[in-house]
Amino acid sequence: MRYGDFTPFDIVLLLQGLGVSLALFVSTTLIGLVIGTIWAVIRFYRVPVLTQIVTFVAELLKNSPVLVQLFLVFFGLPAFFKINVTPTEAAVITLSGNSAAFIYVIAVSAIESVGKDQLEAARVFGLTRWQILRRVIAPQAAAFAIGPLTGLLVNQLQVTSLISVIGVMDLTKVGNILNLRTLKPFIVWTAVGALYYLTAKLVAYAGGRFEKRLRAHTAWRGL
Amino acid sequence: MCRLKFDLSILAKHIPFLLEGAWLTLQACTLAVIGSLVLGLAVGAMRTSASPLLNRLAAVYVDIFRNIPFIVQLFFFYFGLPEIGIYIDAFTTGVVALSVAGGAFTSDVIRSGILAIDPGIIEAAQVSGLRKSTIFRKIILPIALRASVRPLGSVFINLILTSSILSTITLNELTGSAKIVASNTFRPFEVYFVLLVAYAALTYAVSIIIGMLHRYLNRNQSEGAV
Amino acid sequence: MISVSGVRKSFGAATVLNGVDLEIRQGEVVSVLGSSGSGKSTLIRCINGLEKIDAGKITVDGFDVSKPRELSEARKRSGTVFQLFNLYPHMTAVQNIALAPVEVLKVPRRQAEDEARELLRSVGLSERAEAYPSQLSGGQRQRVGICRALAMKPSYLLLDEVTSALDPEMTSEVLSILAALAKTGTTMVFVTHEIEFARSISTRIAFLDKGQLIADLPTAEFFSDKGMALPRVAQFLSKMRKD
Ligand SMILES: Nc1ncnc2c1ncn2[C@@H]1O[C@H](COP(=O)(O)OP(=O)(O)OP(=O)(O)O)[C@@H](O)[C@H]1O
Ligand SMILES: [Mg+2]
Repeated sequence: MRYGDFTPFDIVLLLQGLGVSLALFVSTTLIGLVIGTIWAVIRFYRVPVLTQIVTFVAELLKNSPVLVQLFLVFFGLPAFFKINVTPTEAAVITLSGNSAAFIYVIAVSAIESVGKDQLEAARVFGLTRWQILRRVIAPQAAAFAIGPLTGLLVNQLQVTSLISVIGVMDLTKVGNILNLRTLKPFIVWTAVGALYYLTAKLVAYAGGRFEKRLRAHTAWRGL
Repeated sequence: MCRLKFDLSILAKHIPFLLEGAWLTLQACTLAVIGSLVLGLAVGAMRTSASPLLNRLAAVYVDIFRNIPFIVQLFFFYFGLPEIGIYIDAFTTGVVALSVAGGAFTSDVIRSGILAIDPGIIEAAQVSGLRKSTIFRKIILPIALRASVRPLGSVFINLILTSSILSTITLNELTGSAKIVASNTFRPFEVYFVLLVAYAALTYAVSIIIGMLHRYLNRNQSEGAV
Repeated sequence: MISVSGVRKSFGAATVLNGVDLEIRQGEVVSVLGSSGSGKSTLIRCINGLEKIDAGKITVDGFDVSKPRELSEARKRSGTVFQLFNLYPHMTAVQNIALAPVEVLKVPRRQAEDEARELLRSVGLSERAEAYPSQLSGGQRQRVGICRALAMKPSYLLLDEVTSALDPEMTSEVLSILAALAKTGTTMVFVTHEIEFARSISTRIAFLDKGQLIADLPTAEFFSDKGMALPRVAQFLSKMRKD
């Protein structure tokens, strides 16, 4: 066996990489969901100044390359604030912020999708703005948002691959290592691509299932 | 806390170098937009064609390239092509990879643009005896493209953002040259902050141009314009 | 001559044309009447090759529309005007009209556009030659649609409810043009719900009922006792008159 050949252990390596990618994907999605929703609520309440800031930051994050955001966090923050940022921390911060920006946009349009007349009707019943948000808007907005959200998640899963550039041992980084060692780029990148592909399909499938259930649920409640 | 100074003046003498990088980005993106459009049109046409085989083939292409991270596609081309005896430089590789990925997204836009055309319009063209290729060039394509300006614009804006990933295959486009400036000046925060704003400004400008283009191309299409 | 013989057409389980025979000779104006769903549009769409027939034969001046080779020849000989106009939205009136002559008949563009303007003038639209469809009223659009069909100098004009998307004023605008065309001897197959108009311009009436041609009579006879003797025709006419 030559040094550069594939070993059975490489499969474990790939799966480990996939695990890292997935862990970061799931955690940053959840953080992004929380932050993005908070931003949308800030906008719903039309909090002065804060609303403008949130909108601006979201636009900036949406309209710049994730790679540059990653460099800013990983190289920029430590240099500027004289703090320590590990690759994983940088990855979590960047991906969460990026997800938050896109989720914010989806949440805002989901909230806006709920008809004005419904809100007025609710106000007539004497519900507070918070009650309207929770009882009237949230259920409908969630059903509206799940489709675009699924699309976003499939996209964000792919975005995680960029953290390999700052040295996080994700699936792409494992691909890099195997590529250098075996010098069999076709096999390595096909395998890596296939793993991403299958995961993306899984995310899309799960999103579709979830959407169906949610829709059935809201339809039933509407009766 | 010692010196929290946000100092941009240090970057001044690196601006020509950064502009060179920006120029490379612009070239790569322009070529990739053309590549995506050509590929997207061909694949979009395949996906709306009557042939099940072409249809299937096109769908598979789109599915694959939409669901695999661009950086993986890029490495596949960059490391893989020399393996089968195709030696092209990083720039060409980058443009090819961007075009192939962009083509998948473009074809989706074109496809829905074509499917949105009132079938009656195409029937009118058929009964007047126009050939299939003429109908596609003179009727289907112009109508679909006019309707697709905005979604195509978002695809192209994404292409610009994605092009930053070309820096990972040694290409010193905008992001690549910024990396060099950052390590030379020891001012990564300032450099990447400016870079981030620069990309945002660039895509903002492109989106304005697209809005104008949309309005220009559809100036006669609005209902009741008399 | 347009010859339709033994034509059958079904969509899935539903038989829409069930053995239709019809001949249209040069100079005739044949109105096709029948209640909604009787297969009138389908008949027109079979003649211009938009639908494939299941059995029988349709020829236009001898060219079989079921054969791809001959279909293009057949289509050169007939022009179609659509209920919903179906103008090309990205082209001006003139461009709409000149496209097929330039592309199919290879008429030089300049000449084709001059002819298009001449046609537009004849339907009272010389002012709107450079307008886009969205800038025209329904009646104006349909007049452009008629010009587009005429530009190919067809031997036959196929018209399927060309006024049913128009309000009464625009309808009369379009009908007067068709009446003028009929006078000049243009051969027409005319699907319509405008009974009185059909009566005034047609030489013959063909009546479709559930996919079958149950009457094919000269206009005068159709509206006389002979037509009325057919229960379905009598029913149809009395219903239409009531509406
Ligand atoms: N593409 C199609 N697929 C399935 N069924 C069709 C199709 N086109 C027409 N049909 C059916 O064929 C029957 C005849 O339709 P057709 O349009 O020819 O009627 P028509 O006589 O033109 O009616 P109308 O006066 O309402 O225009 C109808 O029952 C219709 O539903
Ligand atoms: Mg009809």
